[in-house]
Amino acid sequence: MSKIQQTAVNMAGVGFRKWAQALTKSKGTGISALLSGCRAASGGSKGSLPGSYPTTPEEKAAAAKKYNIRVEDYEPYPDKGEGFGDYPKLPDRSQHERDPWYKWDHPDLRRNWGEPMHWDFDMYIRNRVDTSPSPVDWISMCKQLFGFIGFMLFMFYIGEKFPSYQPVAPKQYPYNNLYLEKGGDPEKQPEEVKNYGI
Amino acid sequence: MHPTSLMMTTSLMTIFLLLAYPVLTTLSPAPRAADWALTQVKAAVKLAFFVSLLPLFLFMNEGVEAIITSWNWMNTLTFDVNLSLKFDHYSIIFVPIALYVTWSILEFAAWYMHADPFMNRFFKYLLVFLIAMVVLVTANNMFQLFIGWEGVGIMSFLLIGWWYGRADANTAALQAVVYNRVGDIGLILAMAWMATNLNSWEMQQMFVTAKNFDLTLPLLGLIVAATGKSAQFGLHPWLPSAMEGPTPVSALLHSSTMVVAGIFLLIRMSPLIENNPAALTLCLCLGALTTLFTATCALTQNDIKKIVAFSTSSQLGLMMVTIGLNQPQLAFLHICTHAFFKAMLFLCSGSIIHSLNDEQDIRKMGGMHHLTPVTSSCLTIGSLALTGTPFLAGFFSKDPIIEALNTSHLNAWALTLTLLATSFTAVYSLRVVFFVSMGHPRFNTFSPINENNPMVVNPIKRLAVGSIIAGLLITSNVIPLKTPVMSMPPLLKLAALTVTILGLMVALELASLTNKQLKTTPTLAPHHFSNMLGFFPPIIHRFTPKLNLVLGQTIANQLIDQTWLEKAGPKALVSSNIPLITTTSNAQQGMIKTYLALFLLTLTFAALLVSY
Repeated sequence: MSKIQQTAVNMAGVGFRKWAQALTKSKGTGISALLSGCRAASGGSKGSLPGSYPTTPEEKAAAAKKYNIRVEDYEPYPDKGEGFGDYPKLPDRSQHERDPWYKWDHPDLRRNWGEPMHWDFDMYIRNRVDTSPSPVDWISMCKQLFGFIGFMLFMFYIGEKFPSYQPVAPKQYPYNNLYLEKGGDPEKQPEEVKNYGI
Repeated sequence: MHPTSLMMTTSLMTIFLLLAYPVLTTLSPAPRAADWALTQVKAAVKLAFFVSLLPLFLFMNEGVEAIITSWNWMNTLTFDVNLSLKFDHYSIIFVPIALYVTWSILEFAAWYMHADPFMNRFFKYLLVFLIAMVVLVTANNMFQLFIGWEGVGIMSFLLIGWWYGRADANTAALQAVVYNRVGDIGLILAMAWMATNLNSWEMQQMFVTAKNFDLTLPLLGLIVAATGKSAQFGLHPWLPSAMEGPTPVSALLHSSTMVVAGIFLLIRMSPLIENNPAALTLCLCLGALTTLFTATCALTQNDIKKIVAFSTSSQLGLMMVTIGLNQPQLAFLHICTHAFFKAMLFLCSGSIIHSLNDEQDIRKMGGMHHLTPVTSSCLTIGSLALTGTPFLAGFFSKDPIIEALNTSHLNAWALTLTLLATSFTAVYSLRVVFFVSMGHPRFNTFSPINENNPMVVNPIKRLAVGSIIAGLLITSNVIPLKTPVMSMPPLLKLAALTVTILGLMVALELASLTNKQLKTTPTLAPHHFSNMLGFFPPIIHRFTPKLNLVLGQTIANQLIDQTWLEKAGPKALVSSNIPLITTTSNAQQGMIKTYLALFLLTLTFAALLVSY
């Protein structure tokens, strides 16, 4: 082979080797990894995926580090076969309770970048469930509302029993209280029915 | 064709075209002129109003009503859906009123929203809403009514969430959509029942064929629909939350037009309701509960728009009470008069809010009578009309309702609640006027507060004229279909006025106490009940979504996987096979007595089989 052809084969070999190296070491996904060998700075690495329930203190510490929580704050969900793994159990507080005036990274979500997300984060956004403390406690509120509704329903029932604007006397129809229309005997003389006079 | 009906048909078609034209021009890629909103949209609505006066005068003069079926849309052998417009006395009177109120609101909105970069889109949304409302009101079949119904619901969502960067506005828009959707379940139930049992969605056929049916189920559906759309108790929280939208939206949608759609539905269906005492009682009780509950909530609110919103809800409850009294025409009259003074109240509130640099808390207002005399006078006129002051607009509708309620052999508790709510109306109306117009200003001085802009003052003045004379005009030109009770004891006749004056006196007494520091007022439990809206939003909006979402999450994450893997799939194979395997392998251990036992068992079974 001529020198130029030899060089071309060498370069091809070098390129092939580089390509093989990139394929094995790269951390991107799909075609981009295949072609360029470069990897994205974002996206989860293998170490950031949730793992199994941590049993030893070292596993607990590693999990806390992974989720960006202090070791003393980290508390996994109890291992009852529900599939939570080592995901941290964060307090059930909604985003309504967070400071509205602080300069969050995501102002509408009231969350900073890298903060651990609650398992039910989508439930605790500002358009959904609010867990902020109410001025009146829950039991008292429920008692008052349902007591009010129950009282109203009871009084409506009483109101049906005793309607307003009661008539003072039975209704009196013309033609001898509609004697013939009600099927009275045409031969007999009907008795006078006078409930009220006008 | 008779010239009168020809003119009526033509003018009504013209109205539709006039309203639709500006919306259709937005489909072209060319940008709109800077004053498109004012010159095109407002002018279209104003012109449509004047055109709509023609059918109104024809109706008042000759009593002409028209039903126009213009297009066979979906026709099968047994079921017809046509484009069918009904111009009976309800729609002929409502359309001019809606257009008049909308014209005033659009003129006001051109000032209120002038700093908004998307004002043209805002006006387009308002116009689409108006078209949907007119479609709803003129519908002669349930399908068309449903189209208008959904249309107003969607436009309400878009307009409440106009400032969509605000999470509270998004939540409010979501609330409006979800609560309306719950009501839509009832409407669709009713429509399905009618389609399957009455074989038509045309009103005339429905009314004729429904005579032999037990209509409780579809009427319940219709009442649920009205509860959702007209914010009756149970599905009411969206209406005060809807105040997150701009004031023109509150004035148009959530006081005059959209929220009365539910009541209007019941008015349209009144031939079906009038023979069903259960439905009538339900309407009466629900309306009475709504009117008292929302009037109670309005007593302690501090946001001026919220107070007006609750007063709207209370009046809607009163309209529902009227339906329960089997007086659809009175309910309609109240819809018409209410549109005027409620829209005016909202426009006055908007003017005051803007003048005070977007301050909505009445505790930080005061003395506006010196600064904006026309606006505060109109606020007072609107409040007086709302409370039913004799011979203003509200009197002609509210007083007959109370009289009819007093002289009906119906639920006494509903009567009590309605009278109590009437007095509460006077209380919170006075509270608004006292805190806003009277006294001394409780805010810092701003750049000169004035009423020099005619775009602000003219709509308010126009609506004030309407609030004063509309009641008189409508009652003197429309013959009532049901004879009102004319003779009653003087106490019953004056009941509405008496309770209103009592409420006013109590409110004045309480207002005078604000100037004297006698002792610190304790925080009472009823105050919390009223201020937190009966605790209904905190309880329902925390409990129900949490239940549904947690249930959904558990089902999606755990239940489905557990079922497919452990109960119906691979692990189930294991757990069902292992007992079989153990039993079989235990039986085959090589023990003679097991084999003997099995042999004897088989012999016994065979003998039994042979013998039987």
